[in-house]
Amino acid sequence: MSDTALKLKRTGLPVPLIIIGSVVLVAVCLFPFWWMGLSSIKTLRELYTIPPIWWPSMPTLDNYYTVLFESNIPRYFLNSVVISLGSTFLAMVLAIFASYGFARFDFKGKPLLQSFVLVGQLLPTAAIIVPLFVTLRVLGLVNTYWGLILVYMIITLPLSVWMLTSYFRAIPVELEEAAIIDGASRMGVLFRITLPLSIPGLISVLVYAFVTTWNEFIFALVFATDSSVKTLPIGLAEFSTEFNTDWGAVMAASMVMTLPIAILFLSMQRLFVGGMTAGATKG
Amino acid sequence: MHRKSTGYLFVLPALLVLGLLIAYPIAYTGLLSVTDNQGNYVGLDNFRTILAARATPTAFVNTLWWVAGSIFFQVILGVLTAILLNQNFRGRAIVRSVTLIPWVVPGIVAATTWAWMLHTEFGIINYMLTAPGIIDEPVGWLTNGSTVMPVMIAINVWKMFPFVAIMVLAGLQSIPNDLYEAARIDGASFWEEVWYVMLPQVRPVIIAVTLLLVIWALNHITIIYAITRGGPANRTLITPIQIFRTAFESVQFNQAAALSVMFFAVAITVVFIYIRTTAANAGASK
Repeated sequence: MSDTALKLKRTGLPVPLIIIGSVVLVAVCLFPFWWMGLSSIKTLRELYTIPPIWWPSMPTLDNYYTVLFESNIPRYFLNSVVISLGSTFLAMVLAIFASYGFARFDFKGKPLLQSFVLVGQLLPTAAIIVPLFVTLRVLGLVNTYWGLILVYMIITLPLSVWMLTSYFRAIPVELEEAAIIDGASRMGVLFRITLPLSIPGLISVLVYAFVTTWNEFIFALVFATDSSVKTLPIGLAEFSTEFNTDWGAVMAASMVMTLPIAILFLSMQRLFVGGMTAGATKG
Repeated sequence: MHRKSTGYLFVLPALLVLGLLIAYPIAYTGLLSVTDNQGNYVGLDNFRTILAARATPTAFVNTLWWVAGSIFFQVILGVLTAILLNQNFRGRAIVRSVTLIPWVVPGIVAATTWAWMLHTEFGIINYMLTAPGIIDEPVGWLTNGSTVMPVMIAINVWKMFPFVAIMVLAGLQSIPNDLYEAARIDGASFWEEVWYVMLPQVRPVIIAVTLLLVIWALNHITIIYAITRGGPANRTLITPIQIFRTAFESVQFNQAAALSVMFFAVAITVVFIYIRTTAANAGASK
């Protein structure tokens, strides 16, 4: 398309601006992360030196030792894995069925129900945290894995439904109709045809749900007060108390918490970004 | 070929879960807000008590600053970043991946890392400002009443502008090439293209994203709560944190519920505008 008959002058940002912009952008986005990593391998002495040490003269893994062997962080890591996987899995299953229903069927009140699902995504945490706490207390689910799994499921379910609905809609309905004429059941169609064709969509939902639950702090703060269910974000907050913070250990714990999610996300980002933009702006 | 009732069966499980854990709690908040902690009906007493609390107007004003300040800079930086990432240059893929890092880093990690960087004595930020003489002496960013809110806003902007950038970038990349070519035939410069082609085309995206950012600014209290818990002297107390503290620190569930109801009314208005806007956009783009 760019080979038009007219020779048009190529416009764009001037090269120096691109370079300066990119350098500033990368520095702003990366520096805190880099400083976190650097602080996590400094000795106590080098951590509290002015002017700050830009490169530790004797990098140490002491802080990681503290975090991994002398704290509750490994337990919290396990809790986070169980809770994030559990709620991601359940949200996926519910979202698959709901999205399929919304994408392929017309029924009375559908727009209203879809709006209701979206409202769930947009509800302010602060407005529902009190009643949710009371509800979970009545159900006996405070300080249980199930409590957090359910709570995280309702946080991630709405956007998952919206993202998957737009994926399912994009799959030609003729493929399904052909299978049904061949005698496939509705469920057979969903599992043998629609889902295999939606794997990119499913992955982007999975990443979204997992990252969201892994990172969540406020609900965990309220619904998990016992160390048998506390998640990593809570563990991290416990490391930094107001008057006495072991910053080296805090930064090491931050790395332990961030690396798995950063790797997962950055390796999936192409799929994820596509699903996200489609889900949030088109519905 | 589609029996209509089948659709309900598919969406039912999700709706049940959402109904149970969202609709029911919301209704329950309403009930809590008009009763005392023994469950007796007290009318609007909880509303009067919480509205009369000194912290309430403070939190309201802080919330306005927090939301407006965050969004203003998130949108501007996000759009500028999107325009940059929309250019063709070597290494663009890497720059784009790096841009997403603040957004992926967990909120609590962002909060603690920034708190460490902003440390009055040993923080890298005070050092970078004092060493070249930009400021004379280290600033207590998180303890000084006049700097703490701008700093919280800055951290929030850092965390969320990548989201604006990727959304706007997606919008920019869907602009048909002929629009640029038409502009170029007319001799438009790059900035004229930005102003007359790009921005008008991505306006619906920017509006939708801005509304989402409003909701998220009201929603995500992790950064402020983890760093200051609303202090010092209520300088960073925003309404969501007031609700949280009223409920779980003062254990005044009923007053917290009354505040939640008012907060909810405001938030739902924003949500309603969002749905109307995105619906209109979706209609227009078809």
